[in-house]
Amino acid sequence: MAESNVASGQVRLAVLRGFSIPVVLLIVWQWLAPADASQTGIAPTPLGVLLGFWELTQSGELPRSLLQSLIRIASGFTIAFSLAVTAAVLVWLWRPVEYLLDPLIETFRPVAPIAWIPLAILWFGTGTWAAIFIVGYAVFFPSFVNTLAGLRAVDQRLIDAARTLGAGRWRIIRDLIIPGALPAIVLGARLGIGVGWAAIVAAEMTVGSKSGGGASGGIGQMMFIFLSYSLELRYIIVGMITVGIVALTIDAGFRRLERRLTPWAR
Amino acid sequence: MSLSGLRAVILGVVRYVLALGLFVMVWHAAALWVGKPNTLPQPAEVFVQAIDLVGSGELFGHVASTIRRLIAGFLIACAIGIPVGLAVGLSRSLAQYVTPLVEALRPISGIAWIPLALYALGVGEALPHFIIFYGAVFPVLVNTAGAVRQVDPGLLNAALTLGASRALIVRAIVLPACLPMIFVGARLGLGVGWMAVIASELIGAPSGLGYLIEWNRTMLMSSRVLVGVLTIGFLGYLMDWALRRTAFALTPWWTGWRQHG
Repeated sequence: MAESNVASGQVRLAVLRGFSIPVVLLIVWQWLAPADASQTGIAPTPLGVLLGFWELTQSGELPRSLLQSLIRIASGFTIAFSLAVTAAVLVWLWRPVEYLLDPLIETFRPVAPIAWIPLAILWFGTGTWAAIFIVGYAVFFPSFVNTLAGLRAVDQRLIDAARTLGAGRWRIIRDLIIPGALPAIVLGARLGIGVGWAAIVAAEMTVGSKSGGGASGGIGQMMFIFLSYSLELRYIIVGMITVGIVALTIDAGFRRLERRLTPWAR
Repeated sequence: MSLSGLRAVILGVVRYVLALGLFVMVWHAAALWVGKPNTLPQPAEVFVQAIDLVGSGELFGHVASTIRRLIAGFLIACAIGIPVGLAVGLSRSLAQYVTPLVEALRPISGIAWIPLALYALGVGEALPHFIIFYGAVFPVLVNTAGAVRQVDPGLLNAALTLGASRALIVRAIVLPACLPMIFVGARLGLGVGWMAVIASELIGAPSGLGYLIEWNRTMLMSSRVLVGVLTIGFLGYLMDWALRRTAFALTPWWTGWRQHG
């Protein structure tokens, strides 16, 4: 009894300490901002940002932009992840494919996805396809590299043993190779989509900063339009927080998937 | 190097050249087929532009400003991230104060700060530095703090029993034990910083590789854009390689590079 009291007391102390700095910062921010706001009318306050969430949700701008970005990242991820897994399996199965693909992949892998934004705009315009290309580029390489590493890490002795014991090809794939490679595959997907989310925001912002509006949308562009046209800093912060929450949610979702799909991998 | 080792290296180089040669041929054919040099330039055209950009010194100037920004922002991130990470790893109460704030800010990528930073700092040198710093500091800090917590408690207790002072323990045990993971964090941070510097130059800087490619896009000089893109890839590879070699040289006892390399 006493022990659990001590434990809960420690938890309470930890929570109290954790909240202290952010709360102090928020109070200082709220307290300092108005002096500036009376002059320019744009200085954001924490309460103003909260209100901004409400306003942007009411007007439909935030849900609409967010949905567009999410659809883009989902399609880019699906395309690039399928390609990456297929390519990795082919490389794993056939030497000639490895000789052909490996140099190309090692050449293009170090190019930051963001560096392709200008070319993607030239090739696909400022719309959805450019964003999908950037996300796909970001997702492909981590997915490919990790899938291949996972496949190669499957213990050959296990495969030989299963074969000796009379397991069929399909059985070996289902019971040995897929479970063996799965942790690495999911890890690659998680790393890729993390970079992809940062890259898509950059892509949408670049479009927003250069094309002066247009119909391309997305949360990155929404943020940039508030900078260029209405100078609503509150709304930009709303966008930043949304970007952070989405990043966190995607990451948590994939970690959960990792645990559910591969409970045997620590 | 043994003879068979030499053979393997030569064979690898030959395969690389063959595969890239095939790629360039496919690219050339595709460029002819598309027939729009503003969209998809021929490989030879890119080569000519590369020579021109190198020869005129333009490329070098942009590379220099990008690298200067990256190194400055990255060093500031290390100078803050490593000590704070060490302190957070060593003191549990400090960790309780700082961790929630770090975890709240970390998911907001440096890139998402660009519009606000653009308003606050304007187009210029401060913006890329801030974005690089913001992107790089969290991987460095979090990995450093994590490394401190993984230090073998047996070693710490042994040192305490032998009467070592706190400063000595930090210097002689904690720091060397953490060095490999600090390098892992630094490598991650440099990678994020590299993305951040290109992104911030695309949007709000008057020079650098990101500026070069975006400027040439608006000029429809896609061959020059490609030169910039390939330079970005080459430099990214070079920096990662250099950091890996440094880490390997400074922490030769660590065997975990296989996992993190």
